[in-house]
Amino acid sequence: MAEGEGEPPVHSYRISGLAVASQLELLGAIDAPANDDAPDITVRLQAAPQTLAGGVAGGPNWEIEGERVLLRVPRVGRFLIEGGRHIGVELEPGATPRDASIFVLGVSFGILLHQRGAMALHGAAVARDGRALAICGASGDGKSTLSTALCRAGFEFVADDICAVSLGDDGRPLVWPDGRQLKLWREAIDQLGVAQSQGAAVRGGIEKYFIGAPAAAIAAPRLTAIYVLNDVRPPRAEAIEPLNLPDAMRALDLQAYRPAIRARIASKPHNLAQSAAVLRHARAFRFDRPRGFEHMDRLVEALAAHWEALGR
Amino acid sequence: MSDAPGIVWLASFPKSGNTWFRIFLANLAAGRDEPADINDLDERGGIASSRHEFEAATLLDSGLISHADIDRLRPRIYERIAAETKAQRWIKVHDAYTLTEAGEPLLGRGAARSAIYLVRDPRDVAVSLAHHNTTTIDAAIALMNRPDGALCRGRRGQPPQLRQQLLGWSGHVASWLGQTDVPAHLMRYEDMRADPHRAFAAALGFAERPASAEDIARAIRHADFAELQRQERERGFTERTSRTTPFFRAGEVGGWRRELTGEQVAALERAHAPMMARLGYELSEVAEAAA
Repeated sequence: MAEGEGEPPVHSYRISGLAVASQLELLGAIDAPANDDAPDITVRLQAAPQTLAGGVAGGPNWEIEGERVLLRVPRVGRFLIEGGRHIGVELEPGATPRDASIFVLGVSFGILLHQRGAMALHGAAVARDGRALAICGASGDGKSTLSTALCRAGFEFVADDICAVSLGDDGRPLVWPDGRQLKLWREAIDQLGVAQSQGAAVRGGIEKYFIGAPAAAIAAPRLTAIYVLNDVRPPRAEAIEPLNLPDAMRALDLQAYRPAIRARIASKPHNLAQSAAVLRHARAFRFDRPRGFEHMDRLVEALAAHWEALGR
Repeated sequence: MSDAPGIVWLASFPKSGNTWFRIFLANLAAGRDEPADINDLDERGGIASSRHEFEAATLLDSGLISHADIDRLRPRIYERIAAETKAQRWIKVHDAYTLTEAGEPLLGRGAARSAIYLVRDPRDVAVSLAHHNTTTIDAAIALMNRPDGALCRGRRGQPPQLRQQLLGWSGHVASWLGQTDVPAHLMRYEDMRADPHRAFAAALGFAERPASAEDIARAIRHADFAELQRQERERGFTERTSRTTPFFRAGEVGGWRRELTGEQVAALERAHAPMMARLGYELSEVAEAAA
């Protein structure tokens, strides 16, 4: 029996709107008081199989079999994500629960959201007055950096990596907080001058740190706009331009959290219907902007002004 | 006759003509009357060190795992591409030919059908590399002379690509010419410039990519440096890294004679004399005098 198996979960969180009971401490997650209701999600240290019987390899380190996904993270462990309800972690020798934390909160949770049929965008989100904007783009495009700068300009932090989007009772899309802190590389921390807000390393030995935001959303604000980051290249100038509906639908597909596994889990019609429902109320734009910290103040101003002008 | 399917590595130390050759290939594949748009190349098989490809395939955030652990997963990615690809796919690679900690080739075993290895006079590489990276020539030379040199190694931020071990200029060449896993064809940049038709036709023949002399001639015209410079001037180039220096400069052979100091030439030649001799790059009188 693996360490901790059979013991009750001791940590209680709210992640992407879901009640999570976890045996692992999940760094950066939003604490929630435990109550008697059954949690939506359980996270346990347990024995995980080396391979899934009847599973199909989806990538070099993961396989899928029905409602189960087995993910191997080198030198950390095996993550078994089941039925949109359960994440089981078997640590590799020498790995600590602390090493596994970020892989539960990030990739495992992203897979789990797909299993639940939820919309999970790979992006950051910030809010003001109960309304939110999401920033999507490829990894390394500066989503977290831009959202940190927006938070310093008065926005509330909502999500840093995974934007779980659901439809409210009135059919309008809501975006759920994925944690209470941003995550930034050392370089961005230095350039933005936010060292005083720096928390623990996201993972030991990695120069990426949690950064406290001046204000963080607990409830889910209404998602009114999605901005997809692109590099500005001549002859295109720096600009924010609306995407037409087909392009916006395509953008939401491409900006889904890890589209390769989403395609294996959720059906195309389901994804299309979901995107269409979100785009009925939220608008999508491409944001062509230069890279480099020296542009940040101007970009924040341009983006905030554009988004404010959209109104409610 | 159609292309033999599978991966063809287009391997080189950076700034050795790799992009020029890929644009030639794109024009060859497009087969149109006008030059292909350098920012919209059909033949773009990508780069082996693409962080995006790695993360899409492994679902993992590459910034959260070590370079060595990333390398252990990389062979599986190429083996998978090879198993799935039904066409010929040319993939650019700047990694030296190395083994992972698990003792297997980084680029997979049996993943590629062949490799074209491009090499350029290291003295010209130094000048071009300095422009490309917006560094001093001395910094470029230092990277070329370090046996443990690498690209995108920094972990204070998120580099655009996965870490690529270069092993220094000589080490890079030796790793590719010394490996026996993938049949490799050596193509010198100087020969490409002097007689592109002959050099490119030989590379295509090696890779079993059939093309008529007429098609090759047209693709070479469309990939002419003046044309590439015109397009970059008017529309920019997606692979450009420097904000100030154009990607397509002169493409010149022997420009180092004008741009390097005697000391810089000597530093390169001291480090790389045996490999330069093997490839037919004559040592300068400067270094001989210094020796």
